[in-house]
Amino acid sequence: MRGRFFLCAFAIVAPTVLQAQTPQPRPTPARDSVARADSIARADSIAIVRELEAGAANPGSSSPDSPTVPARGGPSNPRLMPDISAIGEVIGDFSPKGSTQESGKRVDIREIELALSSAVDPYFRADFILGISDLEGIAVEEAYITATALPKQIAARIGRFHMPFGKQNTTHRAELQAIEYPHVIQQFLGPEGLKGTGLWLSRVFAPLGFYQELQLTGVNQIGEPEGDLIAAEAANRSLAGLGVSARLRNYWDLSESTNLELSGSAATGRRAQPASCDLAIDCQFAVEVNAVNARQSLIGADLTYRWRPLQRGLYKSFIVQAEVMRQINQWDDDLRREVQSAEFSGPTRNANGAYLFSRYQLSRRTYLGARYDWVQDALADAGSGEKTLTAASGYLQFFPSEFSKFVLGFERQFAAGERKGVNRILLQSTFAVGPHRPHPF
Amino acid sequence: MKRQFFMRGWLVAVLAIAITGNTASAQLKVVTSTSDLAEIASEVGGRMVTTRHVSEGYQDPHFVEAKPSFVLQLRNADVWAFVGLGLEVGWMPLLLDGARNPKIRPGSVGYVDVSSAVPLLDVPAGDVDRSQGDVHALGNPHYWLHPENGRRIARLFQKRFSDLDPKNAAAYSANTRAFEGKLDAAQRTWKPALAIIAGKPVVAWHTSWRYFAQFTRMNIVGFIEPKPGVPPSPSHIAGLIQTIKRTGAKAIIMEPFYDRKTADFVARKTGIKVLMLPPSVGGAKGINDYVQLLSSDIQQVAAAVR
Repeated sequence: MRGRFFLCAFAIVAPTVLQAQTPQPRPTPARDSVARADSIARADSIAIVRELEAGAANPGSSSPDSPTVPARGGPSNPRLMPDISAIGEVIGDFSPKGSTQESGKRVDIREIELALSSAVDPYFRADFILGISDLEGIAVEEAYITATALPKQIAARIGRFHMPFGKQNTTHRAELQAIEYPHVIQQFLGPEGLKGTGLWLSRVFAPLGFYQELQLTGVNQIGEPEGDLIAAEAANRSLAGLGVSARLRNYWDLSESTNLELSGSAATGRRAQPASCDLAIDCQFAVEVNAVNARQSLIGADLTYRWRPLQRGLYKSFIVQAEVMRQINQWDDDLRREVQSAEFSGPTRNANGAYLFSRYQLSRRTYLGARYDWVQDALADAGSGEKTLTAASGYLQFFPSEFSKFVLGFERQFAAGERKGVNRILLQSTFAVGPHRPHPF
Repeated sequence: MKRQFFMRGWLVAVLAIAITGNTASAQLKVVTSTSDLAEIASEVGGRMVTTRHVSEGYQDPHFVEAKPSFVLQLRNADVWAFVGLGLEVGWMPLLLDGARNPKIRPGSVGYVDVSSAVPLLDVPAGDVDRSQGDVHALGNPHYWLHPENGRRIARLFQKRFSDLDPKNAAAYSANTRAFEGKLDAAQRTWKPALAIIAGKPVVAWHTSWRYFAQFTRMNIVGFIEPKPGVPPSPSHIAGLIQTIKRTGAKAIIMEPFYDRKTADFVARKTGIKVLMLPPSVGGAKGINDYVQLLSSDIQQVAAAVR
């Protein structure tokens, strides 16, 4: 409760209270001699400009006064190689009671993301994003082709992609404004977000004068398949078991500097849930079967408010974002009949979750963020009372440039059913090489 | 008789609406990345085009948010004209993907990379990497601040608009000549100011004034940014102060979207003037067209370095 109050208060007062810029670094005493100044100049832009001028002096270069225009402006790689970029992500976990990382290590490379992107032909563009980590080896995070020449301003994608459910789910983990996805996304959609393999369709329209986009997907199944869960038959043996989702985005410019996005999402599909039985008793399950397919549906709404004054946009910005989700789990007579004498260990109740995040830009390179998380435990017994996870966290981000980032995070977490809080202290370093990727909006 | 008169009036009104409606729908819809390109496009296009632009003149065009409202502008555009050379790389792909408009996809006539029409400065001859800061690997993209490039941009628009709308080709050609005439006339009035500026040492914040310096022949002796796009360190500022004292630089030239604290600090230490110059049309009050932009910048620099 206190955490919720803190976050709400921060969201309201941050833009006015945190107006002051961090002071510019003060220069060192001006003892520099001319020689020292020249040595500094060698490393500065003038030196770079001189090098460029020297290059331009070579035959084939030109100036605005020269009559010919050099042949240039073609693809950045004349050999038609795709754009290749890599993002490394190192996490240090300095939590007092041991590492909370999945690997259990204090300092670990969480993931290296390797991305390849290029036009396939005049009709399609292809994107491949591979995740490389010690735990998962090489995993196909995303791989899809996007049709770029469809009529009626329809966009289509075939392959594996982040499903358009909620706001933050479509952002890659390394590009998040916090270190990890909000807990509601981790619990309801998966620790690395919700991905699907199938077809994605989208259309932009504005019948009411503002931006609206409808995104529909049909995928093999909702969520990542759990490695050790084996059901008697595939979750999507009947077509009704395929995963489907819909998202309607609505966007308004409130002023030149502020805008609002309010969207709704829904998804449904069947997925394997754990079930087991004692073979000594009359059990209908085959030996190797340990799961049963149950329908799981999700609905959600998200709201994002952004403020960024155009002239001061390099130094000042503010964002507040909230998402609320509901997970609807099947546990009815049909499922009971299917499980028969086995014990169903999957979720037996519906659950809700939400988060509120805000981030204020302190200076050109530093940002301060805060988040409050609240998620119900769908696996808790219906009779055991309300079991929820709550967490409040704060983040200090430092961007040396657009291509590197350091984030110091502190989280106070109360796990479901636990009264004692756990403190987490995390340090994230993210660094990217390769072509400039567009900033996520 | 009265009824007949009414019917005729009605018919005339309907025809008038149909004609004006057709004219309106026949206009080329041009969307540009910057206000400068939009202004030159409207000079060339006249009443045959409608122009809109994504970034404002007082905004850093490198860092524009890819807002969905821009997608709505682009989805019906006939022409998307942009500066190129990586200036818009952080946001343009999202807008083009969102617009799903085949008329402005790469390779189509409506996709106009304006940098293809101008000779460039600062094209790296050797290897480039990001240890050199935000160096544009294909060349310096701030080329519109040279009037000769303004002419080249206008001629490129003339050609593209004529390709897309051949029946108005003569009008585009006449408008382009008128625009160039306006620039010629302005250039004659700039001569005294340019004579003052020539050879005078100045400091710039970013490499964005390189083309302007080439035209005015002002001598940029240092940059506030140690490397393009990189904020200054204390040691760099200390070295820059020495450079200003040694060269007698008269002014720091910077865009209104940079924080002037650092420039003011250097000015206090050296007595140099800080000039917040509009880099683009709309970058300051009263800068409503391309000629006004160049005139204002030239006059302000001349007054500062006199």
